[in-house]
Amino acid sequence: MTPAALRARVAITALLVVSAGCRPERVTTPGADMAAASTLRATLVSAASAAAPAEAAAATGTGWGSLKGRFVFAGTPGTARPLVADKDTEVCSKAGMKLLDRSLLVDASSKGLANVVVFARKTARVKEAQPSTTPVVFDQKQCEFLAPVFAARVGQPIDVKNSDPIGHNTNIAGSDFNQLIPAGGSTIYVPKAETGMPTMVTCNVHPWMKAYMVFRKDGYVAVSAADGSFTIADLPAGEPLEFQVWHERSTGPSGAIGLDKPDLRWTPKGRFQLTLQPDEIKDLGTLEVPASAIGT
Amino acid sequence: MTFIIMHRRTSHTLAGLAICLTALTGCGKTPPAYFRPNMVEATKQRLTPDQEQQVSTILLAMFGTPDEPVCLPETGLDEAKLRLAAGPVRSDIVGRKNGLYREHCAHCHGVTGDALGPTAAFLNPYPRDYRPGVFKFKSTERADKPTHADLVRVLHKGIPGTSMPSFALLPAAQVEALAEYVKYLSIRGETELALMRAYFELDDDAQGKLPETREFLIDETLAVVADKWKAAADAEIQVPPMPADIDLVASIAKGKELFYGGKANCVKCHGVTGLGDGQANDYDDWNKAIVEIGKELSSGATAAREASTSGMSPEELAEHRGQLAWLEKFGKVLDGDALEPRTIPPRNLRHGIYRGGRRPIDLYYRIHAGINGAPMPAAKGTVPPEDIWHIVNYVRSLPYELDGELGADKPMLAKDRF
Repeated sequence: MTPAALRARVAITALLVVSAGCRPERVTTPGADMAAASTLRATLVSAASAAAPAEAAAATGTGWGSLKGRFVFAGTPGTARPLVADKDTEVCSKAGMKLLDRSLLVDASSKGLANVVVFARKTARVKEAQPSTTPVVFDQKQCEFLAPVFAARVGQPIDVKNSDPIGHNTNIAGSDFNQLIPAGGSTIYVPKAETGMPTMVTCNVHPWMKAYMVFRKDGYVAVSAADGSFTIADLPAGEPLEFQVWHERSTGPSGAIGLDKPDLRWTPKGRFQLTLQPDEIKDLGTLEVPASAIGT
Repeated sequence: MTFIIMHRRTSHTLAGLAICLTALTGCGKTPPAYFRPNMVEATKQRLTPDQEQQVSTILLAMFGTPDEPVCLPETGLDEAKLRLAAGPVRSDIVGRKNGLYREHCAHCHGVTGDALGPTAAFLNPYPRDYRPGVFKFKSTERADKPTHADLVRVLHKGIPGTSMPSFALLPAAQVEALAEYVKYLSIRGETELALMRAYFELDDDAQGKLPETREFLIDETLAVVADKWKAAADAEIQVPPMPADIDLVASIAKGKELFYGGKANCVKCHGVTGLGDGQANDYDDWNKAIVEIGKELSSGATAAREASTSGMSPEELAEHRGQLAWLEKFGKVLDGDALEPRTIPPRNLRHGIYRGGRRPIDLYYRIHAGINGAPMPAAKGTVPPEDIWHIVNYVRSLPYELDGELGADKPMLAKDRF
């Protein structure tokens, strides 16, 4: 090595040391408020401060009403991307069939946006006190979950089926369920807790397989159909209700769909409010989701 | 590499300058140890600086600092054990040592238990991040917490095939203290996650501030996390004895059939050879979280770039700028607070190295309940216990099969096996 090359190497090393620094620069954040923390600690350790448990939201209204509407997509959805399905091709891409990305399904003629989730955030009354004990079927076939977005009530049994001649596993994120589903087999899963926003469901054997599940205690949840329409029946009337709206590809926080609808007090967190009259079937009409609300 | 062609004098000067700069800036004084907020989650939840501060304040009130940990009775933790494990490494009485966590664990698992210690990036697999409260190697059902004995066993035995060493040489009291401290960090981290996620669920009239009441902070948040740890003690999987009416060779043969069959389907991931070369491009939950965020970011960034600002109202423009600023911040947070995601290879079953322990019952637990946080699914429910035992026996025989006998289509003769 020539002296020049040697010096160059020394220079590079020294520069690297300087530029690398001691550790990568990290985003800073305000520290804890010491005084507030010690006051709060006193509150937390004193048993005396334990307030009486808050009463459940008082049931004020009577009767039941329904909510319906239809989501349409204001942009152009583009062509669906093919998924990389490179395992078990004799089943997963039978007769050259290509599996397509289903995260944005827009009906060609009506512009209806499918698989938008709408659910009531808190309800004081529920018409059907107990969830049904009849299992709802969640099936998979040709390496695809049949329902891209699946809603169920907490406590209602779900029959997780596998209609393929090969084995799958069904892994519900954030739950206690990730089980083998043998070829042609099935197993029952009973959701025990609400999901909040929908949670992802995958098959780890075939990583392209993806769906979402949403569980609600009161069962007041709907998934928009292929034409974008949804209905939630038997909602408690005569009391303020708040709804949450979600779509897989939304650019909003946690997948929330925020619409410009001041009459419904629709927020960027994807929530709107209304009160139903007894026996009313409230139709929100056409709800237009702008192209900018959906990620690529 | 433009430096190579630089003039000799220039490179000389640069080298001198660089060395001077290093000497001048140095690494600074050692800052006091602090718990680093979960910046990935804070940013994902779009918390404001005020909200980030509120979480830090609540956590300080509940858990104290790395030098002075405190715990509320609802956690069920033993503060005396925590004090032995916490703080800087020191000894004031001959033979008694404090600061065990920082002596033995923090360089990989991080002071916060976030698996972002200085050595973490160089390890494969990465060290465990305790904050989601997910642990792999345990005697309880998939979603349950490990028992105290499970954590102690991991500390005793280490995790073969990873960088996690055995701490069998430490006195029992020290191992106890460390296990307790891991629980403390995990409960703290999971509480932090719950608090950060709670902002999204707030009603509008809360004005973006969490209620600082016992009812919300303890009953609805901390106790929910801590109770899962308390429940683990009684949640051990009941394992029936290995079937006694079948000899080992027959059991292994049955296990092999199950391994390759459509019911247990082990072959799909662990491969026809058992070398772990089946489905290999999946992620574990910790890495998948980062991968998913990365996808969300790039999707959001494309949408934001393509959005035309010309027709926007002032409010829309402000929202658009907010989105761009958030995307930029998230990119920086991922650089500083997350490691490059890695795929998780299925275990090579021919090495005879079992991370969760090599006892037959350890393999039974793994197959019965699956591995929490990893793609490995649970066989319970669809595979009966005696069949799980047959698979255990087959898996335990795999390291001893002869090289030429790999594969599903080459049945093994018992006489050739050992």
